Amino acid sequence: MATTRKFQVGFFSKKSMGLVLGLGALLVMPFLSLPDLSPAGHVALGIFVMASVFWILEPIPIYATSMGVILAQVLLLSDQNLIKPWWDAQYEGGYQPPAYTDFYNTLANPIIILFLGGFSLAAAAEKYALDRNLTRIMLKPFGQRPANVALGVMMVTGVLSAFMSNTATTAMMMTVAIPIVARVPVDDPFRRLVALSIPVGANIGGIATPIGTPPNAVALAALARQGTLVPFSTWMLLATPLVVVTLLLSWWGMCRMFPPGIRTFTLTIDSKFQRSSKAICCYLIFALTVGLWVTEKLHGIPSGVVAFIPVVLLPALGVLDKKEIRGFSWEVLWLVAGGISLGLSLRQTGLAEWMISRVSWENFSTTGLVVLFGLVGFAVANLVSHTVSATILVPIAIALVLPQAGGDTAALIIPIAIIGIIVSYSMILPISTPPNAIALSTGLIETRDLAKAGWLVGILGFVFTVLFGLLLWPLLL
Amino acid sequence: MSEKIHILCVEDEPDVLDVIVRELSVLEDVFPVESAASSDEAREVLADIEAEGGSVGVIFCDHIMPGENGVEFLVSLRKTEQYRDTRKVLLTGQAGLDATVKAVNEAGLAHYIAKPWDADELVLVAREQLSRYVAARKLNPLPYLKHLVMDLVGDTLRDSLKSDR
Repeated sequence: MATTRKFQVGFFSKKSMGLVLGLGALLVMPFLSLPDLSPAGHVALGIFVMASVFWILEPIPIYATSMGVILAQVLLLSDQNLIKPWWDAQYEGGYQPPAYTDFYNTLANPIIILFLGGFSLAAAAEKYALDRNLTRIMLKPFGQRPANVALGVMMVTGVLSAFMSNTATTAMMMTVAIPIVARVPVDDPFRRLVALSIPVGANIGGIATPIGTPPNAVALAALARQGTLVPFSTWMLLATPLVVVTLLLSWWGMCRMFPPGIRTFTLTIDSKFQRSSKAICCYLIFALTVGLWVTEKLHGIPSGVVAFIPVVLLPALGVLDKKEIRGFSWEVLWLVAGGISLGLSLRQTGLAEWMISRVSWENFSTTGLVVLFGLVGFAVANLVSHTVSATILVPIAIALVLPQAGGDTAALIIPIAIIGIIVSYSMILPISTPPNAIALSTGLIETRDLAKAGWLVGILGFVFTVLFGLLLWPLLL
Repeated sequence: MSEKIHILCVEDEPDVLDVIVRELSVLEDVFPVESAASSDEAREVLADIEAEGGSVGVIFCDHIMPGENGVEFLVSLRKTEQYRDTRKVLLTGQAGLDATVKAVNEAGLAHYIAKPWDADELVLVAREQLSRYVAARKLNPLPYLKHLVMDLVGDTLRDSLKSDR
């Protein structure tokens, strides 16, 4: 409790500092005259700096910042802006603002709809305990050897979090596993092994599909803005081998760090597949949607289109009702949409190119770029939200690789996917991800246990993402 | 800072009160344990907790006490808005049928522990009732999770933090 309190006191000063710095940047930037940057670029820079400061220091919730970004763009940069006289003074031929609807439209971006589809499937799966039942079935083959049980928990958590949010998956798995693990003697490291295998499985598993975790959406949306649409199945083809390898190696390493003392362990889960007609509709729609997603290349229906099928069918058939629809994590959609919207202005006002022109990148190879952005992303994402880290870095990275890639889509997809993925491996601190916070709160592990596992996962994730990205992915794309 | 959820024990016999407080002290790193020797003193403690912005998750109350008895005290709490969700446990060997019926019907009694009790049982009841309290209030269970019963707060946990960030 003492540490929580200290954190809270620090948080207050951080808050006011964030407000002053962020709003200060928004007000001051337009009045600077930075060489080679358009007046609109100055305003966009003000919004970008304010958003970054707010996202990092969190004077207001991160999703509120995202919504604020859209509002700021509408009020300052769009054709409905409130500062027309100022624009007239800046531009001789008159400022050509983008339509304000461009910014609002980001809330209905196909990537956002893709996530909405994921949310509706996850809500239905939770409502009819499909997640619990799948856990029970999938855990069976792992037997009773404690190390294997831990592997099973990690793998199952990973599979589920590829389709549900990492946080919801962690909460469900903790509910299932913790009461049973709590019966293991207190000094047996097996308790810590299982308690850690859940957040590790969840954080890594989220990488596997486009809907697994919001940073994936940030990377995909940035690519889509360049006209590079990555099919659901292509993302899985790239990400799944990486997820499997890093999960296995993390498990192997964690078993060395926390060797189980007990000989056998049975993880029993008390649940049965529900047989009501609504439950069966839920299973069928889940299977249909995921099936259509992974076969996107065969039928050519984009995943963003498929995603709207469960959004409509689940409530139409009464599988979900108003209450569950209200319960979607709408703030995550706004969080991502704000980032997409900011990316629009970064590009449109020439701000992204301008930022890049400040540094002589000619000395950097793509490998160098990826390593640099990966390291920065990993460091930042341990301290602030993964989505925010990706949102700040990806638009800059994409402007950098664009000229190098030429028209080669693989050369564009690979570095952006690497950066979007590496942030998900950031889980050293309790604040790095919500699954970490949940694991720590159970009291089964301590912060240093989390740090040990987090460093292991982080190093494995970084190294293998870069290796796979540079060596394997070019062969797959 | 998350809300401080307290455990309140009301018992007129000092020795018994000591035992209860000592047995529940394993939860004290998350849930502060307060004690009172009578319902009047209990009201003072409640006022202090409220003044600090805290709340009471569970009250363990003896029945036979000088002045207002335990059941009357719990019934009066039930009628007070901020203690409606507070889980009320009667810890007694002496409550007759009428008093017990009144406690269930009018005080919304959550649990009845007969004297003598077992320390593990007492702690488990406290953890269960605190879990139900957190769930009923829809509080974020994370700060309290260490001592909560997972099965009882699983849904609350998922609902309060379902999203990634």
